[in-house]
Amino acid sequence: MSADFDLAVKLAVYRHFAATGARPSPGEIAGRVTADADAVLEAYRRLRAQRVLVLEADGVSIRMAPPFSGVATQHVVEAGGVSYFANCAWDALGIPAALQKPATVRSRCEQSGDPLRLDVGAEGPGPSDWLFHCVVPAAQWWDDIVFT
Amino acid sequence: MLFFRSEERVREWCRDQGFPVRPLVRIDQLWGLARAWYSTRLQPASRRPQPAEMRAIFAGLGLTGAFWDPQADTFDQGPTKVIDSA
Repeated sequence: MSADFDLAVKLAVYRHFAATGARPSPGEIAGRVTADADAVLEAYRRLRAQRVLVLEADGVSIRMAPPFSGVATQHVVEAGGVSYFANCAWDALGIPAALQKPATVRSRCEQSGDPLRLDVGAEGPGPSDWLFHCVVPAAQWWDDIVFT
Repeated sequence: MLFFRSEERVREWCRDQGFPVRPLVRIDQLWGLARAWYSTRLQPASRRPQPAEMRAIFAGLGLTGAFWDPQADTFDQGPTKVIDSA
């Protein structure tokens, strides 16, 4: 299958997340790209190898299409009337960056549980003294991207 | 990759979880990372930054050192929990 097909699948996946906040099924993507679901799943595997998608253990369901999460997380982003889950703190800001829309990011302090709200505009979030911390060095991020 | 209210909360969490404290990133720096990685993600020509580009992005945001090197093979303090000798 061509790189053009993989690109079409990737764009269909990302546009579905952007429009709905939820992961698409292979059948939904197949309908978008006029292909069968098996061909879409083969594209998923190639996109996983390129670190574009992360799949669940079933090899069918999308766990991550960074910055979007296919499963519920503590990082919630609201933009344009749609609610999204982000994979991590970085991706929580990545969603308004990708959508290029104003958004509200809600999360929490991992230690204290204090709630975080960041209103993000075109120029980014307003001043905040909160911090971001990652325990995994950059060279190892994709060794276990779900843990990272 | 998590949010924390303060450096003190980061240090408490790392101590409690048995992880080393890593570089702390401000929210404005995190926005820079988010834009660099994702601002074109919904467009056909988007692609993930390559290692040299990653280094440049990190350095431009003041994030330097082996922790931020995507090809570091000498960074020996991975995510494995450390034992608190205290």
